[in-house]
Amino acid sequence: MSDLILQAAQAEKTTPLPWLADFQQLQNNTWLRQAVPTRKTEAWRYTPLNRLEKGNFFGAPAQVHECSECLQEQISLPDANGDELDCYRLVFVNGFYAESLSALGELQTGVSLCRFGDANEAQQSAIKTHLGTIANDSVNLFTTLNNSQLQEGVLLSLDDGVVLDKPLRILWLGSAQAVPFSVTQRLLVLMGANSQAMVLEQHLSDDAEQNSFTNGVTELSLGEGAQLHHYRLHQEHESVLHIGGVFADLGKNSLLNSFHLAFGSVLTRIDIVVNHRGQGAHSELSGIYLPRNNQYVDYHTCIEHRVPNCTSNEVFRGIIGDSARAVFNGRIHIHRDAQKTSAKLSNKNLLTSNRAEIDSKPELEIYADDVLCAHGATISQIEDEALHYLRTRGISDQEARVLLSFGFINTLIEKIPHTEIAEYLRPKLAVLFARDPELLRHIV
Amino acid sequence: MLAINNLHAEVEEKQILKGINLDIKPGEVHAIMGPNGSGKSTLGHVLSGREGYEVTQGSVQFGQKDLLEMSIEERAREGLFLAFQYPVEIPGVSNMEFLKASVDAVRAHNELPDLDAVSFMKKARSVCKAVDLDQSFLKRGVNEGFSGGEKKRNEIMQMMLLEPRLAILDETDSGLDIDALQVVAEGVNSLRSPDRSFIVITHYQRLLDYIEPDFVHVLAGGKIVKSGDKSLALELEAKGYAWLAEEVV
Amino acid sequence: MSQEHIDKLIESDYAAGFVTEVESETLPPGLNEDVVRFISGKKNEPQWMLDWRLKAYRAWREMTEPEWAHVDYPPIVFDEISYYSAPKSMADRPQSLDEVDPELIATYNKLGIPLHEQAALAGVAVDVVFDSVSVVTTFKSKLLESGVIFCSMSEAIKDYPELVQKYLGSVVPQKDNFYAALNSAVFSDGSFVYIPKGVRCPMELSTYFRINESNTGQFERTLIIAEEGSHVSYLEGCTAPMRDENQLHAAVVELVVLDNAQIKYSTVQNWYPGNAEGKGGIYNFVTKRGIVHKNARLSWTQVETGSAVTWKYPSCILKGDNSVGEFYSVALTNNYQQADTGTKMIHIGKNTRSTIISKGISAGKSSNVYRGLVRMNPGAEGARNFTQCDSLLIGDKCAAHTFPYIESKHPTAVVEHEATTSKVSDDQLYLCQQRGIDAEKAVSMIVNGFCKEVFKELPMEFAVEAGKLLEVSLEGSVG
Repeated sequence: MSDLILQAAQAEKTTPLPWLADFQQLQNNTWLRQAVPTRKTEAWRYTPLNRLEKGNFFGAPAQVHECSECLQEQISLPDANGDELDCYRLVFVNGFYAESLSALGELQTGVSLCRFGDANEAQQSAIKTHLGTIANDSVNLFTTLNNSQLQEGVLLSLDDGVVLDKPLRILWLGSAQAVPFSVTQRLLVLMGANSQAMVLEQHLSDDAEQNSFTNGVTELSLGEGAQLHHYRLHQEHESVLHIGGVFADLGKNSLLNSFHLAFGSVLTRIDIVVNHRGQGAHSELSGIYLPRNNQYVDYHTCIEHRVPNCTSNEVFRGIIGDSARAVFNGRIHIHRDAQKTSAKLSNKNLLTSNRAEIDSKPELEIYADDVLCAHGATISQIEDEALHYLRTRGISDQEARVLLSFGFINTLIEKIPHTEIAEYLRPKLAVLFARDPELLRHIV
Repeated sequence: MLAINNLHAEVEEKQILKGINLDIKPGEVHAIMGPNGSGKSTLGHVLSGREGYEVTQGSVQFGQKDLLEMSIEERAREGLFLAFQYPVEIPGVSNMEFLKASVDAVRAHNELPDLDAVSFMKKARSVCKAVDLDQSFLKRGVNEGFSGGEKKRNEIMQMMLLEPRLAILDETDSGLDIDALQVVAEGVNSLRSPDRSFIVITHYQRLLDYIEPDFVHVLAGGKIVKSGDKSLALELEAKGYAWLAEEVV
Repeated sequence: MSQEHIDKLIESDYAAGFVTEVESETLPPGLNEDVVRFISGKKNEPQWMLDWRLKAYRAWREMTEPEWAHVDYPPIVFDEISYYSAPKSMADRPQSLDEVDPELIATYNKLGIPLHEQAALAGVAVDVVFDSVSVVTTFKSKLLESGVIFCSMSEAIKDYPELVQKYLGSVVPQKDNFYAALNSAVFSDGSFVYIPKGVRCPMELSTYFRINESNTGQFERTLIIAEEGSHVSYLEGCTAPMRDENQLHAAVVELVVLDNAQIKYSTVQNWYPGNAEGKGGIYNFVTKRGIVHKNARLSWTQVETGSAVTWKYPSCILKGDNSVGEFYSVALTNNYQQADTGTKMIHIGKNTRSTIISKGISAGKSSNVYRGLVRMNPGAEGARNFTQCDSLLIGDKCAAHTFPYIESKHPTAVVEHEATTSKVSDDQLYLCQQRGIDAEKAVSMIVNGFCKEVFKELPMEFAVEAGKLLEVSLEGSVG
């Protein structure tokens, strides 16, 4: 057995959840039977795990009592009027709940929202019933590790017909400690029939060099007619290692809109699995990855069409610079009899350096004939035609390049339905394209 | 304003322009006509500085400056505007961002301060209105999903916003219905002034009914084979281009 | 598939036919160094060739069968296969067309193949063989006039050892993959083509002209060398179904396209696909690859309708600056056929260009996979790839998959990949039927339209036959 498997299995739990012990013991046993993926493991062929294996990340983090100013600043997210966004906010630092930074307030009737450490009996029961059932994809061994190691998490459960009155914002903050450590994050969203919500997950850290490995898993269950807007933003420092996943089950006529962003880090690997389980379900999945320096981003997405009459649309775009590397694997799987499915996927990439690398693998696996499926992948540069057009209008070559690079991902930012998030992201993304503010003044 | 002297140019090692001579004075409108493949659009691209269009001989003087020495954006900032025959779609870059960047660049070159956001918006809206484009076009990606006519009107709108010294209209009439043609022509005519010149490249005489040229030149085989006043355009409309070719031989 | 079925697959009629032959012509099933020595000895090969084979054999023993392909078949027991069978003697062959399976003759008639060609294809041992020998003779002398060498691999090893030694294994090394290693150890025969510098081969080269060697069996080895500035178009395979008795077909094709040369390699593959219930048929595990040097062009065109299981990725190593690789493919699967096929375009040189057009048609209970790799290496400045993969599904029990791998390490390289799937729509069928065209004909017309982009790349006469071949292969797919 490899050191990684053993070390991870033996990691100490400082704040265990006794009511989950049985489940976690089973998961730990499963984990112990795993082998570390190698280049020959198809799902990991481009993504080596040596940085994780060599890092000795399985020390337990110390409880954080004081939060640095830098971290506190990260929390701010203004609304359209410039005031702090009115939302339910749960903040975790290195996995520990930070009550002073959180804001829960009064909850509507029919809304159950808590951290796992605070769960009452009914909430514990809901967690025990659903945890791990949506992310049951045996391919992803790190979900098993998350199951076995989690000590904290967030539950949002909505009764039928409930429309959550405010966005739910979950901040997973990281801060370096004396010894390398690992953090397990977990979100479970259970939506009753015709309920609606907006959930924003942000993975942040302070500006300093980090020494942690984060395993963050999100499970989303949408009942009949439910509608969820979900965001998962990876804005951590580039020294972080993060392996995580988002797993969704879509009931009849439900609607999932899930937006993803990754700046890139030593290792960022996110698996996204969307299961269309009820007829008439629709999913919109979009994402942006922007690795630079020596960063690495790997998005593996899988759209499962298990029943007829569902639709899905997926768009991921990446700009890869310096010596960075990105991997995109986009699978569409139409099961036997999932007739009248419409599934689309587009992946476009810009390479901006001759040391950068992109590996893209869009996949179609189709077992039904009356379907409309298409995928496209491109790797290209800024178009000469567009560059020329801008220059004939007097815009400098440099600024034209910034406008066009930003425009390449801005097509996805523009489609974000929550303008405050789009406005929050624009300047944070724009600075990646130029250091000189003069070149950015027309986009932010 | 513009003095073209014995201009030769090639594209992909193929000689397209074979000695163009043209003198354009401030306030003049010159129409350039000619059959397909005669080099009309090439002339526009050579003047705007497009990459891949190699000048092999000759010179072009723009005002007091050597046009051919300047980069694409310098030419634009000096006041040369090309309305594209096929405007490029740029998703993700909004028309507004694009126009502001362009106006700021040209103004900065002329040592004028940036327009503040409010005055810029005001101006942008008014030119939009002048070419009958809805203001929502300002928020959309540059030319993204615009119809052929909308793209052409977007070009004229940019011209009105940038107020160039020399505007080159490259087959701006192609693909336009009569209403759109009038809108485009009105936009051009509203800009006509004693210190602004136009080169109107077109295949048909139709546009010249609305934008009255001072001179008409016929381009064939990379050379100006005949020049005249606006009556030449009518003659061409009636006889086609073939007779000219014979006359040259 | 049951164990019994496997046994049946492996215990081929072909091998059984040899029991009556001279003892020394038959090898018992199994593979070891002695078998390799025997094969080499039988062919009077020089020592270097034997050494080369043995090296491959030893490598093969250390290798494991690839499992990544999206195909499912019972394990092949390599020790139950006989690795050497001498060609059938005249006496063993059917003496006239009357003795040939009438179903086969019916298919030939549908394809419009002339009678004497039918006889040749079915291996009838009468005059036709002499005809084809004479065809071969006139044709060979014409080629030799221009310096073109076109002969069997066995002859080449004897007559052109320096060329064979230089190029054999230079594109597909012995250890390249499991089946290539196996082929390198035991290959029976194949074609050898050499086009001298600056020569434009005066005719299409086709294995058809070597009909007398068509029974070369399960491990073919083809090597084509196009010297600088030369040009050749090569067509392999048969344009009619062959009842190939061998069950495992593991061929290797190596192409060397030197500076400014061009090779156009067209394949019409229609090995026995098994019957409607999925019994029998060929396992077609083929490695095809070419190295393309400066300003050279390699074009693969394939129409694949046969075999029970296909595993095949004709590839281009675009090594030289400005080299061009093309892959045009139609793969049709019906009944229980499984195909995992596609291409690899490895862009190494500057301004290299590649185009991939793949059309997959699945019918019945078959599975049809496009698997491709486009790789832009760090030196592939200004390289371009365009890939279009379309799948057409006929019926709701079949499967169509697309697994493209796109890897780029150069910022000025541009890769575009598009894939779609569609079905023959009820509206299309209705329109055709309303105009009096029956459903089967209508489907075949629609499928032909779907494949047009690829067919136009085939040499004219084969394009027509390929179209007919699809029609025949689709029979019974519309119910």
